[in-house]
Amino acid sequence: MAKVRNWQLGRDMEYPYAAARPKRQFTMIMDTNKCIACQSCTIACKSTWTWGKGQEFMLWNNIETKPFGFYPTGWDVNILELLGEQEWDGDVYAGQTVFEAAPEGERVLGWAPAEEDWSHPNIGEDEPTGNAEETTYVPETPHSMMWMYYLQRICNHCTYPACVAACPREAIYKRPEDGIVLVDQTRCRGYQECLTACPYKKTMFNLETRVSEKCIACYPKIEQGLQTQCTTSCIGRLRLTNFLSAPDKADPRKPADFLVHVRKIALPIYPQLGLEPNVYYIPPVHVPTKYLTQMFGPGVDEAIAMYRNAKDDPELLGLLMLFGSTERIMDTWDVRDGVARAYDEDGAEIVAVPLREPTFVRPFEFATEVAGEPVTGYRHNT
Amino acid sequence: MSETKITRKDALLYGGAAAGGLVVGGAAVAGVAVAVEGAKQAPAVEGEPIVARYVDGELPVTDPDAGAWSDAQRVLVPLVAQQIAQPYLDKAGVGELYARALHNGAEVALLLEWDDDSVDDLDGIRRYHDAVAVQLPTRSGSTPPALTMGSPGTPVHILQWRATWQRDIDSEGRTGVDQIYPAVVHDVMPDDVLPPETANLYWVGREAGNPLSQIKRSTPVEEVVAEGFGSATHLPNQTARGAGVNEDGRWRVIVAVPSERAGVGEALAPGTSWPVAFAVWLGSRENRGGRKHIANWQTLVIGAQR
Repeated sequence: MAKVRNWQLGRDMEYPYAAARPKRQFTMIMDTNKCIACQSCTIACKSTWTWGKGQEFMLWNNIETKPFGFYPTGWDVNILELLGEQEWDGDVYAGQTVFEAAPEGERVLGWAPAEEDWSHPNIGEDEPTGNAEETTYVPETPHSMMWMYYLQRICNHCTYPACVAACPREAIYKRPEDGIVLVDQTRCRGYQECLTACPYKKTMFNLETRVSEKCIACYPKIEQGLQTQCTTSCIGRLRLTNFLSAPDKADPRKPADFLVHVRKIALPIYPQLGLEPNVYYIPPVHVPTKYLTQMFGPGVDEAIAMYRNAKDDPELLGLLMLFGSTERIMDTWDVRDGVARAYDEDGAEIVAVPLREPTFVRPFEFATEVAGEPVTGYRHNT
Repeated sequence: MSETKITRKDALLYGGAAAGGLVVGGAAVAGVAVAVEGAKQAPAVEGEPIVARYVDGELPVTDPDAGAWSDAQRVLVPLVAQQIAQPYLDKAGVGELYARALHNGAEVALLLEWDDDSVDDLDGIRRYHDAVAVQLPTRSGSTPPALTMGSPGTPVHILQWRATWQRDIDSEGRTGVDQIYPAVVHDVMPDDVLPPETANLYWVGREAGNPLSQIKRSTPVEEVVAEGFGSATHLPNQTARGAGVNEDGRWRVIVAVPSERAGVGEALAPGTSWPVAFAVWLGSRENRGGRKHIANWQTLVIGAQR
């Protein structure tokens, strides 16, 4: 075991391999507040990468309803239960990671989903936490007793992947150029150790080729400076494909660094597991923060306050409005004269988005001419 | 089935050496004849070399009931749960393997038998196959390589039979989704609408040339070389053959390899003696990869050619 720095835990931790941070790290930012679970991302991913025979059950991208939705079933509650109750000491994780809690003879604490666990990708869809009466008739606490939200899930392309740690053949690797985690399709021998180890359950076994596969972060697009399929197909414009620096190298001009390290509005998912996942979530504003803290770690209250304040924070608002506005990966952005602009690595403008769309108000009643004849009427919005 | 669990690394690695004088943990054994149930089972000895008897003509590589096998000495080989390298097999599910051998000057064949009342011959989600492997040094010498699939600079030659591959061959086609889920219904698949060269890209392992993913299989036995756990490398020239059948809760598997071992190592020539080790996987107990049963080095004697 090597000692590596996991900044999300605020401490060093044990990992089977020495730290080797990539030149730049692929990341995705998800604004959970904007998702309507239309699954456009899921279909975009499925129809691009996993519609082959042997991949029938595979969803490299999925949207699940929290707290009762899971793909595969129980993925997060199972590992939380295995790990047991753990503590944060402020911003420093005082508990054990899945590497530190590995039982004798194992490299990672994990569990293997059964085949039926992969068979209900939309289980729990839209199920809230309580009965309608509890909310409808308790007006003073309209959202306190009943809630649900949508969680967008891809591979987290972790800094310390459990799949990499567990593979006895070293068939899974993290690309030094962009931190994307890939299964070497020539080297894998189908032991499925990665399926047991990954706490996010984002490696999957191909039934025809008998080797494991996973989200590849659309690397052919990334290599061309384009955002992923799930990002560009999102009608809610809630995703941002970008690159993230370690906190000591954060550059506030870079979109992901700004959101994660400067405004701290986007948080990692289950950071306590110790993988330093690289997908970040703007937490839902209507969900009890106790639940959210379990999922996103410390900083939930501050992130929600920051989000609520976005209307008065043009820099942040502008960046959020640039989500889903271009297929290309933004290098930097700025906001001037009420317009947010994104730039590529050469500083050339990619796209410009006004913070406020111009509004035109038509009078309720109007008079005009049709074919030379005067016409009067009124507007009827249906 | 008895269970033997040895965790002492040095006993597994160095105990017994090549001579078959096997003493592992508390399971000290000597050449005791063990009667095994079943009419087909000859008495077995333990702790003695596995002598490959010379047979004139073709070896019975696909027929475990052939008369030539009953003339070969059955040797009991104790198995233990692999607990040297992570991930461990936490508990052994079978305690012994029975081995016997034949050769005809051109090919060496081993008949391997072990108890397993569950036939696991499909690879699926959390669904693993039964398998057996034979491990031989590539070079002769007084000290066998590390039992742990060799070590850097000291490779081993491994012959692995898998029940999945046997089913592929027995069913004259590759098994997959249609066999795992016989009632599966597909709407449009890539090969329905795309030219083959494009549709095939959706079987990435196959397109990338992974030998495990190939659709056509001519033998249920794969030949690899390795220099330590996790380093098994598929040989470009596959010459091993074999066959396996499960009857009455027992696998009987034949693994055969040309004596020459061209491009792999020294020939298994008549009159020579080799360390040989074995591994067994029980799919029903989620054995795969390093989660396997292993045997200490035994001795394989290639009998004199008449």
